[in-house]
Amino acid sequence: MVDIITAEVIRGALTYTAEEMGITLRNAAYSPNIKERMDHSCAIFDKKARLLAQAEHIPVHLGSLVYGVKEGLKKIGELEEGDMIAYNDPYISGTHLPDLTLVAPIFYKGEIVAYVANKAHHSDIGGKVPGSMPINSKELFEEGLVLPPLKILEKGKIKDEILQIIERNVRTPKVTLGDLRAQIASNHLGNRRVLELMDRYGYEKFLEASDYIMDRSELLLKSRIEKLPKGSWEAEDYMESTGVEEKRMKIKVRIDVYKDEISFDYEGTHDQVKAPINAVYGVTLAGIYYTLKCVIEPELDINDGAFRPIKIKVPLGSLLNPIPPAPVALGNVETSQRNVDVLMRAFSKFLPDKVCAACQGTMNNLLIGGYDDIRKKFWTFYETIGGGYGARKGLDGVDGVQCHMTNTMNTPIEVIESEFPLIVTRYKLRANSGGAGKWRGGMGIERAFKLIAREATVTFIAERHKIRPWGLFGGKEGAPGELYLIKRGKKVRLKGKCSIKMERGDEIVIKTPGGGGYGEPKERDKKFLLKDLEDGLISRIKFNPNS
Amino acid sequence: MDKEVELRVGIDIGGTFTDLVALDNDGNLVNLKVSTTLKPEEGVLQAFDLLMKNYPYKISSIIHATTLATNLLLGQRGLDLPKAALITTKGFRDVLEIGRQRRAELYNLFFEKPKPLIRRKFRFEVPERIDYRGKVITPLNIKSCKKLARKIKKLEVESLAICLINSYINPIHELKIKEILRKANKNLEICTSYETIPEYREYERMGTTVVNALLLPKVRTYLKNLEDRIRERGIKASLKVMQSNGGIAEREIVSLKPFTIIESGPAAGVIACSYLTKLMNIERALSFDMGGTTAKAGMILNHLPEFTNEYEVGGKIHVGRIIKGSGYPIRFPFVDLAECSAGGGTIAWLDSANTLRVGPLSAGSNPGPVCYDRGGEEPTVTDANLLLSRLPEILAGNLKLNYELAKEAIKNLSVSLNLDVIDTASGIIRIVNSLMSKILRVVSLERGYDPRDFTLISFGGAGPMHSCPLADELSIKRILIPLNPGLFSSFGLLSSDYTHNFVRSVVKKMGELKKEYLDEIFDSMLKEAIGLLNREGIKDEQRSFFKFLDLRYSGQGYELQIPFKEGDLENMKELFHKRHELLYGYSVRDEEVEVVNLKLISLGSLEKPKLKKMEESLYKDGREALKEKRKVYFENEGFLETSIYLRGKLKAKDEIHGPAIIEQYDATTVIYPKWSAKVDTFGNLLLERW
Repeated sequence: MVDIITAEVIRGALTYTAEEMGITLRNAAYSPNIKERMDHSCAIFDKKARLLAQAEHIPVHLGSLVYGVKEGLKKIGELEEGDMIAYNDPYISGTHLPDLTLVAPIFYKGEIVAYVANKAHHSDIGGKVPGSMPINSKELFEEGLVLPPLKILEKGKIKDEILQIIERNVRTPKVTLGDLRAQIASNHLGNRRVLELMDRYGYEKFLEASDYIMDRSELLLKSRIEKLPKGSWEAEDYMESTGVEEKRMKIKVRIDVYKDEISFDYEGTHDQVKAPINAVYGVTLAGIYYTLKCVIEPELDINDGAFRPIKIKVPLGSLLNPIPPAPVALGNVETSQRNVDVLMRAFSKFLPDKVCAACQGTMNNLLIGGYDDIRKKFWTFYETIGGGYGARKGLDGVDGVQCHMTNTMNTPIEVIESEFPLIVTRYKLRANSGGAGKWRGGMGIERAFKLIAREATVTFIAERHKIRPWGLFGGKEGAPGELYLIKRGKKVRLKGKCSIKMERGDEIVIKTPGGGGYGEPKERDKKFLLKDLEDGLISRIKFNPNS
Repeated sequence: MDKEVELRVGIDIGGTFTDLVALDNDGNLVNLKVSTTLKPEEGVLQAFDLLMKNYPYKISSIIHATTLATNLLLGQRGLDLPKAALITTKGFRDVLEIGRQRRAELYNLFFEKPKPLIRRKFRFEVPERIDYRGKVITPLNIKSCKKLARKIKKLEVESLAICLINSYINPIHELKIKEILRKANKNLEICTSYETIPEYREYERMGTTVVNALLLPKVRTYLKNLEDRIRERGIKASLKVMQSNGGIAEREIVSLKPFTIIESGPAAGVIACSYLTKLMNIERALSFDMGGTTAKAGMILNHLPEFTNEYEVGGKIHVGRIIKGSGYPIRFPFVDLAECSAGGGTIAWLDSANTLRVGPLSAGSNPGPVCYDRGGEEPTVTDANLLLSRLPEILAGNLKLNYELAKEAIKNLSVSLNLDVIDTASGIIRIVNSLMSKILRVVSLERGYDPRDFTLISFGGAGPMHSCPLADELSIKRILIPLNPGLFSSFGLLSSDYTHNFVRSVVKKMGELKKEYLDEIFDSMLKEAIGLLNREGIKDEQRSFFKFLDLRYSGQGYELQIPFKEGDLENMKELFHKRHELLYGYSVRDEEVEVVNLKLISLGSLEKPKLKKMEESLYKDGREALKEKRKVYFENEGFLETSIYLRGKLKAKDEIHGPAIIEQYDATTVIYPKWSAKVDTFGNLLLERW
């Protein structure tokens, strides 16, 4: 019989090792993307490439490593001690090109006993625009350098030619190589820690513990599923623009619960498009795992065992499981959010107390850059902006926060102004944007920037500028997002996905969507209405439109 | 005639007990415990009365650690925060509420942000704007300030925080607003962000300023009242307060900046460790403090603790670290401690997958562990230790432990786990040890230090019971257990120095900076520091000053603190590259280095307490202290015949080999097989692994 106490200690040690790898990566990284925004994840796999433990800082990486490591190892073939592989091909790695995955085998007494892996979002990986997230690409090749699984370390030695290829293909080589070194350091650390565990407990105990860890998650999830209502539920929602053209594209899911299994079938989802909003399979998985964990068991340890009771069917060639060379840069940041909305809506039909109404449903990606004639250098600024969280039973939605698949921090105003030719003119909660309800949706954010350099290019990528975040059980929709350019006092409304030129003195104004409400607005406690009114989060007119 | 006996007094108010320690000039330590009272000053005064009755000597200094500030912010019952308001730049009143936009829990759909400390209704904006270079781009609108002053008066606001965008580089508008508001309302407490903490990054600066404004009225009144009432007893010594940076400051000074005393208590233990490492010439040490509900770990390098600027009051903890966005940020150097919910009272339970878990819930001291027989029903770490025969029958305070009750409680777990009762008890210990080993890893390995080079200093009521397996887990070879492990933290209060921290943000490339500019800023901080030292009556020869620059590669998000070398910026750049290499594995020599902050630390050093020398043992094998032999359980060996010693009877140079147990009033030390313990001249136990 497995010694459960030792297994439990090993489980704790593996989870901590994944965390420690994450901290090493963050500390050693160069770009704000990783250092401030923590756009990276680390994991440990067993010798069959089954996930044992993972530390992810943003949920969109949750499924992609599981999928990506297996696929990557399949492609590379035999590995030797000291080897490490790197790749970013979305169709193998499971996210988009800026995410670089590094995997290393762990050898103990001459044989592979486990793997360590990490993934980090690089600030540039080449392609047609800085930041490598163009809104109008028609093929993957426009989005940047595509690396299939390659040995970046061979028998412990860095392969310079691979670094040179990367160096010559990205706009910020120093930063990218710095971050890459941090990723290598992180895997080295993971390798060392796992070997320490082997030395302490022996390989046999480690194997026993691995089985125990995975079985435990499987059992926990199964016991949760067994208690769910049995049946079949469907939901759908839409993407509103491909990046190239505005049109509605359906995402549809059917959830079936039977005995101790749960299945997700995306039959009826729109075909893939020749535009960057396709989400690779790994991203779709991440949405499923994330929502399931949130709704069914937030304490669930995500590892291979947790996936066993889940069946997934996503039509090949659809928006959520495209075939190459469809571009995929925005699938991560936008389509991934809609996938969660659809799943949440389906769950709301049989677990109404466990879900939230639609959150802002977008990441509001903002990229501004160009030549700074004040500091005499090229610059790029990238951030995602929070919005309204959906209302929950018994709780209002949270105001001004990152939702679902992302959780990156903002860049402080004083940091932006001291580094870039921008002045932030306001940063506030967007009154009246949360959907009304017994529990109201969270308020979106209003953030505006004035350019003080001669000119710059702004790319903005968002959804929910037309199709509003939905409410639940009588709760109203949240306000849609809005984007404006103010030029010489004239305000012009822009589309949710656009790329424009700004000139000195121009101001760009971003209003992010509010969350949906939960329950009938007329049932809302007067006390809360009054508080919101006093705080200026709702105005009297909206409070009672008939008076 | 003997010279006059003088006492240094430390007072630490905990959740259950108020501890008073007094140390005389010969190194004799006295401890008095009274129950913590609803009004905390009452308990303190009771302890003073007790002290003066039993030890009628002159009191030369009083150092106080208080959790009042934290309790106020966390909304403890009976403590109300004053009505407060915030004034900021037009367009930014929600910065305080939005925070860093991050949610502290990823998978909890029902999460909530910490409630904003000042609600929106009381957050006001004025038209004004200063750019990143400190240039006024929109002049302050005086008229709207005056209007606001009237409004704030009408609202009966007691305390006001002022924090404007980019004020760290130019405070002119903040000071002007303060002047206008002050004119309109003489009784209003006003804190500007520039005077509180002129550091860049608006959310953290604003949050710190708001916290300061909220704490100020209550903390000032409490401390003043306490000092007055101590004075009524004829004690002349002034009241000093422990700050989160491990240094002390006079009551008057912390009353103006109460945000500096948020983590007043926990810092003391680490300061005691620093002092001990200096005394014993230990270069690298890890501190490990385990009490009834939490365990804390810290690192002491070259006799100095490590500090962190990233602290959030009321924040949630994940693997020893505070989760960003879960509490209220305070910008101030805090003694860097990693913490976990693991103590004697921590509860063992089964989760829904039938897995044995330990913590984070604790039975506290009331009802406490099952074996205390005070109504506790859930098995705790202490119950497990009792089952393994590690504890004496009677604990401090004449508390008789009930073995049968503890066994019954753990049996309930063991049946579900299909394990033997003893294996379950040992499982609880192994799991809690593995939790605690993580916080030791956080403070050592995570910072790139190999714990094998460190001495583990283990204290707190429960620390010495768990230190051997923890040391083994990290391959540490030496453990130091101070003479009075349970009182060691309070002892830290008596061995600290006056410390003040100053900071100014500049955010400029090193190449663009002139030496004169830096000197000017350092001089202004120096002037401020000297002012404080004068007020505290610190003599010239006791004073020392340390200058630092926070540096980073241009565009990086994190800074490294490098000692400032007068007029040698090139050398500092080199030091920065090297430190970056050490910590992160690489440097980028052709990248521009940026100066973010200038920092000054002023120290007023105090005479350190003397430790009493211990008489030498005759036999050097502890035989005079041997109490009994009994069977004690060890994780790897099972039950072993074990010698039990009394710490009070051990003498210098006594050496004991494990397995052994050393009992004393405030702690039990468990010496595992393959470990030995030696008593040093001050009565500390030095454990070594053979």
